[in-house]
Amino acid sequence: MSDRTLTLQVNGRPYTLEVPSGQTLLETLRESLELVGVRDSCGIGMCGTCTVLVDGRAISSCLTLTAQVENKHITTIEGLSQDGQLHPVQQAYIDHGAFQCAYCTPGFILSTVALLGENANPDDAAIREYLAGNLCRCGSYVNILNAVRACRTIDD
Amino acid sequence: MSFELLQPDSLPGALKALAQHGDEAKVLAGGTAIVLMLQQKLIAPTVLVSVGRIPDLAYIRSEPDGIHVGPLTTLRDMERSLVIQTHFPLLAQASGEVGNIRVRNQATLGGNLAEADYASDPPTALLALGTQVTATSLRGERTIPLEDFLIGFYTTDLEPDELITDVFIPASAPGSRTTYLKYRSRSSEDRPCACVAAIAAFEAETCTDLRVAVGAASEVPQRLPAVENLARGQALTDELIGEIAAGYADNIDTLEDIRGSAWYRTQMIRIHVVRALEELRNGRR
Repeated sequence: MSDRTLTLQVNGRPYTLEVPSGQTLLETLRESLELVGVRDSCGIGMCGTCTVLVDGRAISSCLTLTAQVENKHITTIEGLSQDGQLHPVQQAYIDHGAFQCAYCTPGFILSTVALLGENANPDDAAIREYLAGNLCRCGSYVNILNAVRACRTIDD
Repeated sequence: MSFELLQPDSLPGALKALAQHGDEAKVLAGGTAIVLMLQQKLIAPTVLVSVGRIPDLAYIRSEPDGIHVGPLTTLRDMERSLVIQTHFPLLAQASGEVGNIRVRNQATLGGNLAEADYASDPPTALLALGTQVTATSLRGERTIPLEDFLIGFYTTDLEPDELITDVFIPASAPGSRTTYLKYRSRSSEDRPCACVAAIAAFEAETCTDLRVAVGAASEVPQRLPAVENLARGQALTDELIGEIAAGYADNIDTLEDIRGSAWYRTQMIRIHVVRALEELRNGRR
């Protein structure tokens, strides 16, 4: 397998890496960059624990080759806080106790950030539809929904 | 995963790579299917040609006689396109039924068609709409009706050196009513066990044109023109709807998988063709 040198833009910083052609973005982020908030679970794009944002859009890093996202802007959970301040979505998840084991939480938070980027004021149906591809096996869905509701521009 | 990854930044570059490597190569677009298959070791290409750097292959272009959709257009962009939502609502609907938001953000129309997965939503809607696929190679360009493009289980008419370069969806008759019904036998995010895409035009109560495609139940989605024609010039009575549904149920060689047996799928085709045609008759657009 041929290695290639490529530059990734992750959480606002450039990284130049040697990456095997077949390596997934999930593997690169976890193993080379030690960004372990990106989690490996189903490996087939179904569960959402490996969600990252590429140019603001949520994707499954397990189904993406690292070479596909060269020079694109990648955001992981580690990139959301600014100057020691949690991102408002992170804070809302804490305020609403929107997790138990928290394995799924980075994926949920990133999907929520992407949702709010598309629609600052999603109704419940839009929230449910958008987050349907993120699974929480502890079943914290009610608190997750409450956390996302609290992030809307118009909170009810 | 031992392969050479090529990332041509032009269409001629990609076509040259495909001409050179032919059978040994696979095309990588969004990656949701190919990367999954690589990870699961279902395929072992020696060369992977990534088309993501080719410019100008993601577009939705409206013309008087229909729309052209670029092969690198994501399913999410199709689902959210105002043009598609307005003029081809069943395509917006079918695109929006695939997997989850992340999959739709990555998966492309060209990849979806080239994979020819029987258990996928868009091909059935596209078949009902009379879609034409343009394939290009160094040898030239040809346009293939979707019914001739999808030829079997994960199999298309594409030659190893050809790339999908355009997808054309002709406009339906003004005032046409359309629907897409997806039947899932397992969880809400599942692929279809059977699906029905239907388009009908009416003059008062009389159906002047009917197109019905049934997918996910057999190796390729199917239209049955002889059965569709039963509706032409007729009112869609319950009896006629039952006859058309029976035509589809009886003439499609259904397959068996984890989503249902062949017998079960036949029953689901019958029921969902009835529901689709009732919906069209009763006037939902």
